[in-house]
Amino acid sequence: MPKKEVSLDVTNVENFIFDMSRCVKCKGCTWVDHIYMPGVKYSTRCPSATRYLFDSYGAYGKMRIGLALVEGRLDYSDELLKILYACTLCGACDVGCKRNLDLEIELTLEALRIKAVKDGRGPMPEHKRVAQNISEKHNSLGAAHKNRRAWLHGIKPSAKADVLYFVGCSASYSHPEIAEATARILEASGTPFVLLPDEWCCGNMLYSVGMIDEARELARRNAEAVRQTGAKTLLLSCAEGYRMWKVDYPKILGISTADLGFRVVHLAELVDETVKKGTLKLAHRIDLRLTYHDPCSMSRLSEPWAPWAGERGLWGVVDPPLQRRRGTHGIYQPPRDVLNSIPGIQLVEMPRMRENAFCCGAGRGTKEAFPDFAAWAADQRLAEVGEVGAEALVSACPWCKGNFAQAVSRNQASLQVFDFSELVLSAIGGEG
Amino acid sequence: MAISKEAYQVLESIVGPEYVSADPAICEGYRAGPAGYECNLGYERVMTRVPGCVAMPRTTEEVQRLVKACNRYGVPYVPYSTGFYGARSHPHVPDALLIDLKRMNDLEVDDKHLYAVVGSGVIYSQLQEEAMKRGMYIVIGGGGSQVSAIANMIGDGWSPLSYRIGLPHRRILGTELVLPDGELVRLGSLAFQEDPFWGEGPGPDLRGLLRGFTGHRGFLGIVTKMAIKLLPFQPERLTPTGISPDTHLQLPTNRVRWINFTMPNKEAMRQVMVQMANAEIGAGVTKVPIFWRVIARAKSKEEFWELWSKETEESIRNFHVLRVLLVGFTSAEQLEYEERVLMDIVKPLGGEARRTRPTDESWFKNADSAGMWLMCGGYVSVDYVIETLEHSIPHGENYAELKKDYTPPLMPDYGDPGWFQSFELGHQGYSEFLIYWDPDEDTTGVDHFYLETSKENIRKRFYTSLLGAHQPLYLTGPAYGPNYHLWLLKVKQEFDPKSVCHPPVPLAHDEFVERAEWMRPLKDWEGPQVSPKP
Repeated sequence: MPKKEVSLDVTNVENFIFDMSRCVKCKGCTWVDHIYMPGVKYSTRCPSATRYLFDSYGAYGKMRIGLALVEGRLDYSDELLKILYACTLCGACDVGCKRNLDLEIELTLEALRIKAVKDGRGPMPEHKRVAQNISEKHNSLGAAHKNRRAWLHGIKPSAKADVLYFVGCSASYSHPEIAEATARILEASGTPFVLLPDEWCCGNMLYSVGMIDEARELARRNAEAVRQTGAKTLLLSCAEGYRMWKVDYPKILGISTADLGFRVVHLAELVDETVKKGTLKLAHRIDLRLTYHDPCSMSRLSEPWAPWAGERGLWGVVDPPLQRRRGTHGIYQPPRDVLNSIPGIQLVEMPRMRENAFCCGAGRGTKEAFPDFAAWAADQRLAEVGEVGAEALVSACPWCKGNFAQAVSRNQASLQVFDFSELVLSAIGGEG
Repeated sequence: MAISKEAYQVLESIVGPEYVSADPAICEGYRAGPAGYECNLGYERVMTRVPGCVAMPRTTEEVQRLVKACNRYGVPYVPYSTGFYGARSHPHVPDALLIDLKRMNDLEVDDKHLYAVVGSGVIYSQLQEEAMKRGMYIVIGGGGSQVSAIANMIGDGWSPLSYRIGLPHRRILGTELVLPDGELVRLGSLAFQEDPFWGEGPGPDLRGLLRGFTGHRGFLGIVTKMAIKLLPFQPERLTPTGISPDTHLQLPTNRVRWINFTMPNKEAMRQVMVQMANAEIGAGVTKVPIFWRVIARAKSKEEFWELWSKETEESIRNFHVLRVLLVGFTSAEQLEYEERVLMDIVKPLGGEARRTRPTDESWFKNADSAGMWLMCGGYVSVDYVIETLEHSIPHGENYAELKKDYTPPLMPDYGDPGWFQSFELGHQGYSEFLIYWDPDEDTTGVDHFYLETSKENIRKRFYTSLLGAHQPLYLTGPAYGPNYHLWLLKVKQEFDPKSVCHPPVPLAHDEFVERAEWMRPLKDWEGPQVSPKP
């Protein structure tokens, strides 16, 4: 059998024909890992397949549809675009598939969106409006650029420091409490930090919906801006931004995460380190029974990126060997360790946790184009929170917090919704 | 739209517009291949079609109405629970309605009488977890944790745990079946009351009709509800641990224990199985094929091939590992007693216990059949035999010899004779023969081997339990029947006079041999004149 050249380059969907043609419909992408199967309730981890039910909305359907699209057996339609975009790209399918078959499902889905944009059929109209916001106002929300630092409220970042806090659009405008809490935690832990002189959107939404050229342009600009500050660590309080910087920037720039020139760290990792070192004391009691929601982009999607190119031969074996990203080394334990070390907090786990967690529904362009779907996904998760009797739900991403908070409000529920940074700030005795 | 507008409107009125679609993208998502069980083979390429329409009913009544509408408008239909059973669970004719049963996912456990009532969309791991929460268990068949419990019960799914629990059809209780014309039949005690606690009767036991040899693959109607017998387990929890892909159940070692033994030869393994059965100990027992062991050790496809390429005919011939499961169902003392008896059996036969991890990855909750596709991309269990333990060993060896003529395209396996184990406390011996290939290669040889195994069973008088979907009915029927094929077709005609229920099954493999020109040279039997079509 002649060997085929192949790579992980998402701009060419042909790289993923093998993956699209090897799905056996085990639906490991949709079900919770069977070892962790909680029973007849909460048994799926794919929001798209669970909401829309037709096989076509599961990864097994999308692989078949993608292959038909690439082979010219199927044309774009409204339904097909909905299948491609009413999907949170949350990585649940990818982790599930790599439990058994090691197919590159997440990359295939990204490549299909990039192809849709290249073919002039994607993204969804709502995404184009977001792209326009980013182009004109440097943020995805359409807010005034000049207000990007309005959250500072007297906080004075350093002029020069090893740590650069990249705030992101959501914490800058929609959830300033998260940005402020993060900055105050840094102060309390004795960690000087800088901000980018002129922070722009990270471009997560652009990349997620397939607008690769625009995303790459932002990646180049932002990465260079960070390098110019001389910072050694890029800190994020936003999981979406964390993934974008740590995984997708290297991916679209053709380098590995290690070659970025700085370390990418989420606040949960930094707090975990500083608490374990003793430089941050979580001494203030918080009497709360709470549960932790793993943000997809900080957990199963967050393993570092390394480019790979090689050949695929008989039996589908690749050469050189490929270090597959299976979600095993996501940031699962640090936030749990931190929360468990806060006096008074009783951390209870939901049936679907860590790599099996059910996405909140907000990320990667879903909420913008399919708000009903995003609301439904959050409702599903809230029901699960209710199941374990938690008084509060905490996550580590402003997009999760926003979507959950809206769901609580819509349902007139009494559940409290926090970001990780807010609880840590309370535990150190700070005020947001 | 493939089916008429009028018929579509009727379907829509039954399930609601959200749950029916004829959109080409939706239908493409239900394509059988290109990968999966029996996919990437000639059968899938020649015989399967993308559905013309998909409907997702919620209730038995909706299923009945859909089926009646299909009969009224002459629309062929195929029941579909999870789609994992590859090519044969997908439409074989154009413009068919695929009835996706995943919304029928109700599950109710009767703790007192030890059974669960499930809908067609309930999968095994869900059922197992609900059972284990209540101190009971079932066998998750080799088809995997992700398969529909009902479909697998009908199709007789088994595992090493079938050694004690027995074959699935013995655990089918009250059942609800929508016949091919839409009429509802209730089997067992459901026939005269709402309680499904009993499976047999009234009158002739219709479960045999439902099941055939190993299920009819959807050509005799749709089972919408089934009560499944659960068995008492030991009381301690099996704790899930690890992060994907390395997840497993931590076993309570005072109650549940796997022990692997190195044995001197196959005969010694068989002797252990027989003596364990005589002593009525053990919860599961199986020969471990070296292939499984390499899969378990490899962290990737590439590592598998690196490890596998080090094997030789000699290493395969001399690999005799027996895996035994002990469960202290009633007490920790029971487990200790059974272990002492087991050691008394194994040692005189030259066996040595190996270190075995106190975990379970593959049989209680996660029968990870999907992993079978990792190494090559193409896989099928080409033949299974349920007969005696004496019979199971030569069956595997015989097939290993036959397989050499078809390697390549089959993967090199150094004469691996497959897998055998003991069923139903030694009353039956089981042999299963698995094959693997690269789907990007010419698979003609795989198609031929598949057919040759059917002939080999007849030539060598290996009784096969799989007289069903994957062998030409007119080849096997006269040989095993002598008129099994005619009887089955009469049953089909009686219940499905319009031939709308998954045509042309049960003659699909006969039709494949006729339609695939590369198969015709192998045809040396008298075939049917025509296949039934709507």
